[in-house]
Amino acid sequence: MTATENPPSKYKYVGTRPVRHDGLDKVTGKARFAADLDLTGQLRGAIVRSPHAHARIVSIDTSAAEAMPGVKSVVTGADFPAIDPSDSAHDEAVNNIARDEALYVGHAVAAVAATTMEEARAAAAAVEVEYEVLPAVLSIDEAIAEGAPIANSTNRTLFTGDTEPSNIASVGPFQRGDVDAGFAAADVIVERTFTTKAVHQGYIEPHACVADVGQDGKATIWASSQGHFAVRSKTAKILGWGTDKIKVTPAEIGGGFGGKTTIYLEPIAVRLSQKAGRPVKIVMTREEVLRATGPAPASKIHMKMGATKDGELTTIQGTLHYSNGSAKGYAALTGAMSIASYKFPNLDLMAIGTVDNTPKSAAYRAPSAPQAAFAIETLIDEVADQLEMDPIELRLKNAVVEGDPTAMGAPHPKIGFIETLEAIKNSEHYNSPVPEGAGRGFGTGFWFNIGEQSSATVNLNEDGTATVITGSPDIGGSRASMALMAAEELGLDVHRITPIVADTESVGFTDITEGSRATFATGMAVVNACRDLIEQMKERAAVMRGVAADQVAWIDGAAVIEGPPSEGADPVSIAEITAAAKMTGGPLTATASLNAAGAGPSFAAHLADVRVDEETGQVEILRYTAAQDAGTAIHPSYVEGQMQGGSAQGIGWALNEEYIFSADGVMQNAGFLDYRMPVASDLPMIETIIVEVPNPSHPYGVRGVGETGIVPPIGTLANAIADQTGVRMTNLPMSPPNVLKALNER
Amino acid sequence: MATVHLQANHAAFTDGVRELEVDGATVGAVIDELATRFEGLGPLLREGSSVAIDGELQPKGTIYAAVGPDADVHFLAPIAGG
Repeated sequence: MTATENPPSKYKYVGTRPVRHDGLDKVTGKARFAADLDLTGQLRGAIVRSPHAHARIVSIDTSAAEAMPGVKSVVTGADFPAIDPSDSAHDEAVNNIARDEALYVGHAVAAVAATTMEEARAAAAAVEVEYEVLPAVLSIDEAIAEGAPIANSTNRTLFTGDTEPSNIASVGPFQRGDVDAGFAAADVIVERTFTTKAVHQGYIEPHACVADVGQDGKATIWASSQGHFAVRSKTAKILGWGTDKIKVTPAEIGGGFGGKTTIYLEPIAVRLSQKAGRPVKIVMTREEVLRATGPAPASKIHMKMGATKDGELTTIQGTLHYSNGSAKGYAALTGAMSIASYKFPNLDLMAIGTVDNTPKSAAYRAPSAPQAAFAIETLIDEVADQLEMDPIELRLKNAVVEGDPTAMGAPHPKIGFIETLEAIKNSEHYNSPVPEGAGRGFGTGFWFNIGEQSSATVNLNEDGTATVITGSPDIGGSRASMALMAAEELGLDVHRITPIVADTESVGFTDITEGSRATFATGMAVVNACRDLIEQMKERAAVMRGVAADQVAWIDGAAVIEGPPSEGADPVSIAEITAAAKMTGGPLTATASLNAAGAGPSFAAHLADVRVDEETGQVEILRYTAAQDAGTAIHPSYVEGQMQGGSAQGIGWALNEEYIFSADGVMQNAGFLDYRMPVASDLPMIETIIVEVPNPSHPYGVRGVGETGIVPPIGTLANAIADQTGVRMTNLPMSPPNVLKALNER
Repeated sequence: MATVHLQANHAAFTDGVRELEVDGATVGAVIDELATRFEGLGPLLREGSSVAIDGELQPKGTIYAAVGPDADVHFLAPIAGG
């Protein structure tokens, strides 16, 4: 179901649903992931990981491991150059392999390469590490407690000039208006504290890479990542090499969701390969993925909100603590900034990022926004309850429009929040009765989306087909969207276009696929390259017809001659132009690169019907509808897929997922049996409504759709549970034991 | 001159000033001018901020983006994605 501002017929290819170009390989198992690659003479790598949440590394003795059968190389932190803690790459470098301090259980401290996996694991177990165990900090509350031990001796609070170690990563106040006056003007004031646990991105493919250092000292890496140029630059930095010494070929990626914007294995694999003189493959186990790769941050958010009896939100005040895990970061700042959906004339938010001895956090779809939206959407729902207002009407009354400020004060560009709210309000779901004995909840979400650098090359082949080459790993259907935009520009059937993702030496620099940016920014590079090609083809057609170039127009995928002496002649097709290319100037190719400004923010609104079993605390989702402003849906099926995927992950975050640590910092549920993500049988079909309010900064109006869908589900489900039971859930997950406990405390 | 809007954490370096007029043809020139006026503010703006000009979010790290004479320039906390 699609609600559109522009009629779908405006475009011939954009907005259609062709079979994706990479689909057959993926459903038949032919697609090659990093773990599928095997090179002649390849070794297997295994990582030695800290068993302590916090410890000083006194010494590492690798002699016994090196003497074991099949072992070809061993590395420790001493095999990597020192990096100053003030360097922005420091935390990622020491997260790849610890130097003097192990910062969480699972932190890599050494690695081994051997002929077989079994030999590598046995040798890893034989590496002798002497630790001096240090006091550990395992939560936000412990990190900010008076007299707390320092979790990471290299952390200094960002941008304060503080020189002493601290468990505070960053502090960011956001203020406007007069919150005291706002509360004084309010007839209703609601206030609660919310907590959320760390959750994992849960990609199905564990981190994997193969590295091969040649006799010339140059490394070739095949890796699963959201950005192979970033793999190259990060690996080079950690090794102290130039980027010219590293080539990275992108493997297919089995999910990332933000968790593969960082690296964990590649520098280690390169150093092992360099020392052994043979290729090295490292593949994480699921347990390693959960123990040692970035989860989304835990949070503790206190929020207070005021509204008049007419439903005008007057003020918001709060403190947002987010745990960055073992390293510094911006998680709390981003969380506060994501409060951008409602016109609060008075605002006072304090964002505080903390550091502790849990795994270094990483981005996860709309990073930090779901936690903040849980608080905001719960309180707004409570205001609606107290005022006996329809929850959508209350939000419509306070929804931001173009020109309204975000939490940071910058005005929103053209946005579609009102249209998204109205899409749910007008939906069949919202206008149907709530099932007997069930609860209905509503919630919204916002995400910025970003631009950044992208490159594309488009080659026309001699038979009139085309190859579109980009540097954006395809994590959500971007090959199809690139091909569709190229098809629309060139007027060429989408399946006569082959979209490929090229290695770091075959296409221009391209930033990570993150921030819902690939279809927006890389798409613009593709469009620009196609427009360059069209100009070239017009010139070639002019030569072929003996007319001036300015007499040629590009219409419906062909050069049309306008004016004498050839007016009325048959149009010159792409295939005719490319067939004659060697006689008119040679091959036709165009490249475009850009650093994209004007990313379009995206809003989503979700509606859920749930039934809470009040004897067990289990929450069953009966019906779920997601509406989202896509700007323009280039391939609507993949937009719907992103909305459904984001919803499913948000539902898992809301109802089941959590990192459970023992008192000494060991994750107790490091496997998918105990870390319970939703599976298909847990969910109803998630209904989708694509809203299209085009982004004026993109040639086709694209906003980016990958992230916003994960923001509303937590608040939506909490509100649905409250609707049935009268209990406001404020601590995640809303799992059966936690829900039952809350019901029993009614 | 452009109107520059700062966040509350920037105001720690500006004696509480959050909005001011600054002469500068590019983002970099505006930052240089602010760094000259307010000791300690430069690194925060260069390394720890995103920038929006007239409401349009600029690419990360852009110091050459043009700033018009009547532009509204917002320095924001860094924005990334997942």
